[in-house]
Amino acid sequence: MNGSGIAAVVAITLITVALGARGMRVARTPADFLVAARAVPSLVNASAISGEYLSAASFLGVAGLVYVNGVGALWYPVGYATGYLVLLLFVAAPLRRFGAYTIPDFAEGRLESPLLRKVGTVFVLVIGWFYLLPQLKGAGITLQVVVGSPYWVGVVALGAIVTANIAAGGMKGITVVQAFQFWLKIVAIAVPAIVLLSLTHARADALDRPVGATFPVATTVSVTEPIDFTVRKPVVVTASGTLDGRTVDGAVRLTSGRHSAGRGAKLRFPAGAAAPSAVGLDELTGRQWSMPFARAGSGEQHPLAATYGLILATFLGTVGLPHILVRFYTNRDGRSARRTTAIVLLLVSCFYLFPVVFGVLGRLEAPGLYLTANTDSVVLVLPKLAVAGPGGVTLAALVAAGAFAAFLSTSSGLLISVAGALSHDLLDGSVRTFRWCSVVAGALAIGAGLRVGGFSLNLLVGWAFAIAASTFCPLLLLGIWWRRLSRTGCLAGLVVGGLTSATAIAITMLGGGQTGWPAVLLGLPAIWTVPTSFLVMIVVSLLTPGSLPEDVAGKMLVLHLPEGLRGPMPRTWPTAPPTAVARETGWA
Amino acid sequence: MTLDPIRPGRQVVQAPSVGAAGARPLPDVSDLSTDNPYGVVLITGLIRAQLGLTIGFAALTIAVIGSLPIIAALFPSVVHATVHGLPVPLLVLGGGIYPVLVVLGWGYVHLAERLERRFAELLSRPT
Repeated sequence: MNGSGIAAVVAITLITVALGARGMRVARTPADFLVAARAVPSLVNASAISGEYLSAASFLGVAGLVYVNGVGALWYPVGYATGYLVLLLFVAAPLRRFGAYTIPDFAEGRLESPLLRKVGTVFVLVIGWFYLLPQLKGAGITLQVVVGSPYWVGVVALGAIVTANIAAGGMKGITVVQAFQFWLKIVAIAVPAIVLLSLTHARADALDRPVGATFPVATTVSVTEPIDFTVRKPVVVTASGTLDGRTVDGAVRLTSGRHSAGRGAKLRFPAGAAAPSAVGLDELTGRQWSMPFARAGSGEQHPLAATYGLILATFLGTVGLPHILVRFYTNRDGRSARRTTAIVLLLVSCFYLFPVVFGVLGRLEAPGLYLTANTDSVVLVLPKLAVAGPGGVTLAALVAAGAFAAFLSTSSGLLISVAGALSHDLLDGSVRTFRWCSVVAGALAIGAGLRVGGFSLNLLVGWAFAIAASTFCPLLLLGIWWRRLSRTGCLAGLVVGGLTSATAIAITMLGGGQTGWPAVLLGLPAIWTVPTSFLVMIVVSLLTPGSLPEDVAGKMLVLHLPEGLRGPMPRTWPTAPPTAVARETGWA
Repeated sequence: MTLDPIRPGRQVVQAPSVGAAGARPLPDVSDLSTDNPYGVVLITGLIRAQLGLTIGFAALTIAVIGSLPIIAALFPSVVHATVHGLPVPLLVLGGGIYPVLVVLGWGYVHLAERLERRFAELLSRPT
């Protein structure tokens, strides 16, 4: 693209590494590495949580999915935000009061079962790792657009930077970095969105028409990867490069039906021409595009079931995201954990007002991406298409910087969670082990990230949410509010919820269930796996009262009693939080 | 209840005074322990009140946000209505829903803190 885009990406990376290095000098103990120093002001902490949360799926993916699937895709950001309301209502204050660092900590402390800690750790690894892949994909496509490098360069570069930074500094520096990156991200998406809105000549009434997207002005579409596409109405284009297997240069008539374009081909469409779509991409009329229902697979079968599947996954999945919950420990007490969550809700709500602008304006002004299928890059491409001259270049550099900030922050948090879970819950928990675990986890993620280029960002993230909603959500909600949760019941629910959701997703990833009910139930599995997991946990708990942990009342007291009222803790309750980390560092 | 002879021939009936002699002392922080039956009642009451508040807000969220897809399915005319050319679903899901979320969140924080303050006042009333 241009020098300024490269400069922006490099600058963001350098700032991140520099801030991380500041923390490196003071990070000493494993507890430092995991949860910084437990006394971060609410606004800083809320910015850091939001910075960590707003990932590639939010920064690039939401706009891309709105562009392709229409208004129904907005359930993703709505769900990502509402997840914090659920977290606030059910989890924030009690979890902080309980004093657990991570979900496996909570599982072990609440139910006194080392086995549950191990099972919980496995799901932390699965969810965290699933969530890492779309971040790496985002970096791959961003560098593709900014530098013109192949997909793998971005994946490897981001993976290596994040891994090195985490292995060197841990999270102490990252809290500052995450807070900074939230503000960077919101500026990087809000300023271009507002500029684009003020400059647009697009007519909004074109959105709800019974026809597909059309080119508003004569537009040249450059093909970067070989692509097959479908033309609905015959059109005469000015083409160069390889088209339908022949080398062309000049006016070509594209008949209705399927065509193919080679790498480097350029097609110039006249104003008003209907935009062709890549094969495999649903071509929606304006009418279909403005329907507020989620879509599963291809086609629009069972829109209500698909929408509620998505709602369940995103509303309840946030609660179970391992890299988010660990941040709540940096709140002073339960009350400030609640306030922090409410601020997060406000911050992410403000952020999500902007990606939709790119999705909508993209459909009206840049329908060429339907042909090349690079729909996840609409945020990156639109500023230069819509604003001529240096202004467009500057805006493009700004969104590129914001996008890179999104991958850096989310993948850092995820890698800490994954490496922390590996080193503390499965290995010896030393700083040295933590460092090696982050290197290994980072390398594995890079390897897998190279293979997920074909999946939509939100699809990948949505799957991580579905698994979290089917495993950790029932564990936390029932563990915090229900006295009769038994060890056996909890284990059964975790295993059933985890296996069903992961199997459904694996089948979808391997290409099964493209249409009809299978597409809905396997592609958006939360609609049945979440209720199943809750039901199994409750029924098995009621059937196995023998495996209730000791002193449930004492644990309920610790979970729910405001800190100021705490007298001496009940005798049966351990004086320190039940975690290997705390024992090691003497925290009490 | 105490009978107070203020004037001869007439008796004034007073409500029992706080911490009256002979009554059980009012709860304080030291009662909040699970090996004290009185403490168990207090804690159970607090948890019930907190859960009630949480479930109330969850129900409100389901009613306001969870009902939107059903409304859209039942009333297609709403889906295709436009305001200044913009489809109504775009305006609701793209922006209008967020202030509702934020208000729900802050409302809950406010009420949850009030609940905890009242519980603390109950315990720290002078005896």
